Amino acid sequence: MAERGPPRAALALLRRRVPEEVAEAIEGDLTEAYRAAREAGRPTWLADGRFWLEVLLVRAGALRRAARRLEAIRPTSERNRPDRAARRDPGFPSLLPMHLHDLRYAVRRLLNAPGFTAVAVLSLALGIGANTAMFSIVNAVLIRDLPVEDRHELVEVYSSSSDGFQYATSSHPDYLDLRNENDVFENVVASRTTIARIDIDDRPRVVFGELISWDYFQTLGIEMALGRSFVREEDESPGTHPVVILGHRMWTQDFGADPEVLGRSVSLNGRLFTVVGVAPEAYTGSMPILVTGFFTPLMMTDVLMGGEQLERRRSRSMFLKARLLPGVTVEQANASLSAFSATLETRYPESNENRTMSAVASGKVSLHPSVDRILTPVAGLLLAVVGLVLLVACANLASFLLAHAEDRRKEIAVRLALGAGRRRLVSQLLVETTLLALAGGATGLVLAQWTVELMMALRPPLPVPVDVEISLDRTVLLFTATVSALAGLAFGLIPALQATNPDVAPTLKNEAAGSAGPRRLTLRNGLVVAQIALSFVLLIGAGLFTRSLQKAQAIDPGFDTGPGALAWPMPELSGYETPEEVEALYDDLERRLLDHPSVTHVALADRIPLGSGVQTGGYLLPGVPSQTPDGDHDIDNANVDVGYFDAMGVEITSGRAFTRDDLDTERVVVVSEAFVDRYYPGQNLVGRTIQSAGSGDDLRIVGVAADTKVRTLGEAPRPYVYQLQGQNSFFGMQVVVKGRTTSEELVSITRTTLEDVDPELVLFEEVKTMNEHLALLLFPPRMAALLLTVFGGLALLLAGIGVYGVVSYAVSKRTRELGIRMSLGASAADIVRMAVGGGMRLVIVGALVGIALAGAVTWVASDYLFGISSTDVVTFATIPLLLTLVALVAAWVPARRASRVDPVRALRME
Amino acid sequence: MAKGSHLGDLVELVLLAVRRLGEVEADGASVRAVLSDRGDRRVSVSTVYVTLMRLEEKGYARSWKGEPNARRGGKARRLYAVTPEGMEILEHVRTVRERMWAPASEVARG
Repeated sequence: MAERGPPRAALALLRRRVPEEVAEAIEGDLTEAYRAAREAGRPTWLADGRFWLEVLLVRAGALRRAARRLEAIRPTSERNRPDRAARRDPGFPSLLPMHLHDLRYAVRRLLNAPGFTAVAVLSLALGIGANTAMFSIVNAVLIRDLPVEDRHELVEVYSSSSDGFQYATSSHPDYLDLRNENDVFENVVASRTTIARIDIDDRPRVVFGELISWDYFQTLGIEMALGRSFVREEDESPGTHPVVILGHRMWTQDFGADPEVLGRSVSLNGRLFTVVGVAPEAYTGSMPILVTGFFTPLMMTDVLMGGEQLERRRSRSMFLKARLLPGVTVEQANASLSAFSATLETRYPESNENRTMSAVASGKVSLHPSVDRILTPVAGLLLAVVGLVLLVACANLASFLLAHAEDRRKEIAVRLALGAGRRRLVSQLLVETTLLALAGGATGLVLAQWTVELMMALRPPLPVPVDVEISLDRTVLLFTATVSALAGLAFGLIPALQATNPDVAPTLKNEAAGSAGPRRLTLRNGLVVAQIALSFVLLIGAGLFTRSLQKAQAIDPGFDTGPGALAWPMPELSGYETPEEVEALYDDLERRLLDHPSVTHVALADRIPLGSGVQTGGYLLPGVPSQTPDGDHDIDNANVDVGYFDAMGVEITSGRAFTRDDLDTERVVVVSEAFVDRYYPGQNLVGRTIQSAGSGDDLRIVGVAADTKVRTLGEAPRPYVYQLQGQNSFFGMQVVVKGRTTSEELVSITRTTLEDVDPELVLFEEVKTMNEHLALLLFPPRMAALLLTVFGGLALLLAGIGVYGVVSYAVSKRTRELGIRMSLGASAADIVRMAVGGGMRLVIVGALVGIALAGAVTWVASDYLFGISSTDVVTFATIPLLLTLVALVAAWVPARRASRVDPVRALRME
Repeated sequence: MAKGSHLGDLVELVLLAVRRLGEVEADGASVRAVLSDRGDRRVSVSTVYVTLMRLEEKGYARSWKGEPNARRGGKARRLYAVTPEGMEILEHVRTVRERMWAPASEVARG
């Protein structure tokens, strides 16, 4: 990667009209300081900012002022002589139109009102910070700006699957045919994801990688950071060219960014691969957020992953991308693709019946069309939430500026009377607002950084060993800072212009002092109402998701979620080759675990319910017709061992569980109650047989098990088939360990046992507790509840401050009036009641608007709620109470202060 | 001294810094560093260069271009040195200072 120099725009600015003899030297000095800062590890934005500041200082007339100071100290004897230097005054013109005097004045004013300044800056910072963080995250997930050439020409090509899902992956033979036989694409490339064991410095670990066709990078227009991408002969024959391109992150972290890495060997799944290139930093792989560790040619698939996947048309795991020929539209490509799939169907009816291919413009796909459909509204919801927070923050700033400007009517009138120009006054107010926006932006940046770090710490407990990367988005920071500054300016400007109306006399005569009741400040009151309403919406959202989370945690998944540990060994990546070796490994593991006094159950299963993956099998059910051409039913299934039902606490409601004897006889299965209800309602299935669509084997049903939740907590009971593991393969078996102790203890027992059995054994992921397993599923509601609570709390805080400000301001303007009332016999309680009442009127209006808004908006969230409706009564009753309480406190504090006013002093007050 | 000259505080410090650094080292950045390390004065880049320019115009310092340098984005440094006139005025200022510090009796005697 080329070393990035100082910002060019700043350099260009610096070069303009700086005296020739020192221009070069100054530029050199600043550049050198910039480099030094970068080398010291300062972030780019900081070094850039520093550089800009220095340039602005040079340009903003600092040189000229310095020169003038020099004039004053010139030896007296020279002072009156016509001066060569003065005539040739380099005259560094001031860059900013503002007067330094204004700047100084603004700083002084803001520092003189620390409370006002702090609240204004903090309001802005919260809004800017929340927005920048959230946009950065959404950006990283959905709107990635890939370093790809001419993205508009790229399309994603999908095949439909047997159950009608439109966006499934394709097989390698289909890919080769498409590549050779189409007339709409310039080129078609393929990739597939994998995980592999990599040994670096004898430390085995599992990393995420991609297998790609040789011209993948070339077709996308991605240049390697080091070395080269693959060439044709490396991807022509299976298994002959073990070459690898390292991901940039892996290269820097595991290879110390060694430029000599090319030609070195890296062990992937025990086979040596030669490094031929390093991917650029900007390209982290085809999946967003996940960082790909390595790329190898597609032809290495069978070597790396086993099986004969490249040859088989039924093995579909390729993601296809294609570049359209010039002038071809996506519609034309789609027409051509459906003709092509029809050809494949006639050629290979047994594998390609009813499979159609289709193309979607790459620009319209973030992750995958089916995932995007879910993620986009979630992202939209999140952005709407932070947008609301920003609105509340802007309203706060505006409201404070309004109050501030009202306060300054008199000062401004005096200055006008003394002959100050309106433009000058307005420009000065603008300087103040800009300063506030800058300070808010800077604080917001820090907040945004924290938020992103916090979110990263909370990242979904995905069962994939991943590198994750999210960086702050500068565009968004700039955007939000500008929006809030503009909002501030707009609201600061209106009263400023009003205040500079030349109607000086009444203000000077102090006529406004007694009459400024709450009714006069309608704009400000309106802002408070808006704040209350917006925080109300957010808090309702927070309440709904929190309640939903409670409900979700209370749902009975149908299996024992008590203390337990889960381990996922990968013997096939650890040198175990034959099924016998693998079986021996699991036997050994099971025996040693059971030797431990606190372990009660050990079981194997290739799927634990409520995990991340979905696993189904095709079954032929006698007497039950199916829509698919093969006549089979796609049903969720799992391969489990004999001890599974005991260990997981799943009850057998009729028939029996598996026994050891089953291992040596015909193939047997246990089905769930929902299976019976769906396909054979009311019948006794024990003893009857169904068929596996894949192998054609008969499967005898020996028992029926109680239902468990399978994919999600919210789902209706789902048909489920348990196959007896051992009659099948050991591939992907996870170990369930239950016992009479804590989950943590069980995890550590499992970990040491695994270590004893085989220290070299690679694990798919760290040994985890049963609760950690369930955490993945609860992640979205937990995240939603957390975010909404945080942002709703923020908004409530801001709104509380807003209410406080309004009441406090109204009270201070009415000191004189209150004094009169008190001297006429009003008690302190009357005064408090009156002042609080004024504020609470606004709160009630705001709350009513909020209820209406929330009712209209929260139905969006109803898809993501468990067990409660989007008009949940408890939530809609609790939140107004909470809000009223906060508002009462916020209004009460200044009201009480007002009631303590000494009437005599209040009356005398000018 | 016949010229009756004196120097401003900052100007004097800059000139002293140039003298201190010698012919090889004195450029804007190092003068700035010396000012902040020894002179307890933090000044901006522009102030240093304006001061150096003025010193040069008055003949108290002279300057020449150094070698271009990749680290500086291919820009050359401008190096400064004190001229004999510069040394003279520094000495003069020093004498004036010492005279002012000296006890009253000494002045009377002198």
